[in-house]
Amino acid sequence: MFTIRSRDLPDVADVLVVGAGASGSVAVKELAEKGFSVVCLEQGDWTPPSEFAGDKPEWELVKQKQWHPNPNVRDHPADYPIDTTESDVNPLMFSGVGGSTILYAAHWCRFLPSDFKVKTVDGIADDWPFDYAELAPYYSRMDREIGTSGLGGNTAYPDGEEFPLPPLPIGKIGRKAAEGMDKLGWHWWPGANSIPSREYRHRPSCLRYGTCLTGCPAGAKASTDITHWPAALEAGAHLVTGARVREITVDHKGLASGATYVDREGTEHHQKAAVVIVASNGVGTPRLLQLSTSSLHPDGLGNSSGLVGRNLMMHPYGAVSGTYEDNLESWLGPAGHAIESMQFYETDASRGFVRGAKWNVMPSGGPLGMRSGYGGRPVDESWGENFHRNVKANLGRSFEWGIIAEDLPDEANRVVLDPTLTDADGIAAPKLIYKSSENTTKLIDFHVDRAREAHEAAGAISTSETRLMRDCGWHLLGTARMGNDPATSVVDQWGRSHDVPNLYVIDGSVFVTSSGVNPTATIMAIALRSVEHLIGDRSNQLTSAVS
Amino acid sequence: MLTDAERERFAQIADVLIPSAEGMPSASQADVDTVWIDVALTHRPDLDELFRSALVVGDGLPGAEIVELLNAEHIPAFEALGTLTAGAYFLNPEIRVRIGYPGQVPTIPRNDVDSYSDLLENVVERGPVYRDV
Repeated sequence: MFTIRSRDLPDVADVLVVGAGASGSVAVKELAEKGFSVVCLEQGDWTPPSEFAGDKPEWELVKQKQWHPNPNVRDHPADYPIDTTESDVNPLMFSGVGGSTILYAAHWCRFLPSDFKVKTVDGIADDWPFDYAELAPYYSRMDREIGTSGLGGNTAYPDGEEFPLPPLPIGKIGRKAAEGMDKLGWHWWPGANSIPSREYRHRPSCLRYGTCLTGCPAGAKASTDITHWPAALEAGAHLVTGARVREITVDHKGLASGATYVDREGTEHHQKAAVVIVASNGVGTPRLLQLSTSSLHPDGLGNSSGLVGRNLMMHPYGAVSGTYEDNLESWLGPAGHAIESMQFYETDASRGFVRGAKWNVMPSGGPLGMRSGYGGRPVDESWGENFHRNVKANLGRSFEWGIIAEDLPDEANRVVLDPTLTDADGIAAPKLIYKSSENTTKLIDFHVDRAREAHEAAGAISTSETRLMRDCGWHLLGTARMGNDPATSVVDQWGRSHDVPNLYVIDGSVFVTSSGVNPTATIMAIALRSVEHLIGDRSNQLTSAVS
Repeated sequence: MLTDAERERFAQIADVLIPSAEGMPSASQADVDTVWIDVALTHRPDLDELFRSALVVGDGLPGAEIVELLNAEHIPAFEALGTLTAGAYFLNPEIRVRIGYPGQVPTIPRNDVDSYSDLLENVVERGPVYRDV
């Protein structure tokens, strides 16, 4: 059930947060615990762990529909449609309390120092307005808040990274992959995951379901509905679920004055606020800013640069699957990455492209998950006697080296409002215009070739590869980028709009570059840094005179 | 609920997709057509219409020819049929036992650092791989 609109909502909230996902949860908790009145509007609902199918026999059937990460496939009432007809990659996300952390793989990775200085070290894109050292303390705090399991001393990081919990088991797939990397002399390290390897802060230990991407039935994985929202609500935060925001409103001076939203009965409401924070992900945030037009902001809110929606980055993903003689129990979780490699992460000009990618080893699921795309191929390739042979050859015996390709900013890759498509409330849906670049193609080609060598060194008897997975757009970044120059960025280094000083963006939209690692740790660390600055600088905060 | 005619047609097609071979039972021997397809459809009602549309293709043809026709000319219906047939087969607990898949069951994580520390020492000896900026 959606939360009934509370009678005790403040007439004017100190802060209104749009979105209860990774970044919004951080902001709401911090603000509420510091005594601010906070209202959060979330279009989705709560998802209790008992609803997840990972511990049920039908898991692999329902993961292809009800728990699919692509909202266009899932088509849940809380989802909004997205036009992807001009995109090489489908965006993946979840609408609900906890946002996409409900369905993420919980790979908990920091950026590397060079990720903040791409312009300086590689002469492309832009540097961030702060560096690794500036963000490192926030990473550490988030590690403790969410309960990261990992092994310290990773030679891919300057400070070695220490974690509050010991690493999760790498299992037989991790060991097998590590043997190959060892033969080649390549970097690998046990993966750090935001999944507790033992009970942590009232959360149970991981139970090794290999179903993290469809929700954790154990309630162990760090989704922010369980890591942040209980404390936020205890501190007095107000959460309205089933609230689809159609517009951020402004006053006569052009300052943000609140938001208009539609509840699940179709009734429109307005919540007034002194400060508005948008935390709706790299697609939802630019959509909402573009929807929020007015005479003072005719091109959308905070969009004097024209960059709202532009520079969309989605981390094109390649993969090489290897099949082995031994039963590696590769259905066993978590998923989660067993091990990672940063061997080819940094730029090497001799390769013919810039930047690089993180690799990760993940489980391969059960017997049904190995099978997809039946139609059009010869029948006897997948069916008949080969149905049984394929199961015997692959089940438990295959795993994947996944490749997260750094995606460079390109203004042509963008989120716009679709001229015809609308959501269930009649609000214009987003459309993605996104093409993978030549640099990315070269990058993935190189990495796929190396990953195949890694499997072969580990003893794989066969390999298969995917050079660009269409359903891979987990990481939605860059569409309201931060920077010091209002002409070339949407928000400043604290997430504050250059145009509207009481409007903040704190999700992955603010990324200047994408890195080549999973971004949730960075999204949450940046959100924490931004909201702490908002609190610390409150005496200088301009607000709307909406009351 | 499938009609008797739909169930009979499905059994014919399902045994072409999953025959008795390699020491494994066929779809009908595993009760896919009589029990597990109903369970599968309960979990994937979105596939019901496409599934039923597959069952009226190639009336009167042998099962193998129906499958070829579906694969060539009715791909969405064939994919729905394939997903449900394989999904129903693997829902049968006896099949899971025979293929050695326990399903997703709770397993306490045990620290296995000792099993790979020898390999990790080599990584440490090779030194940092990040670029110092």
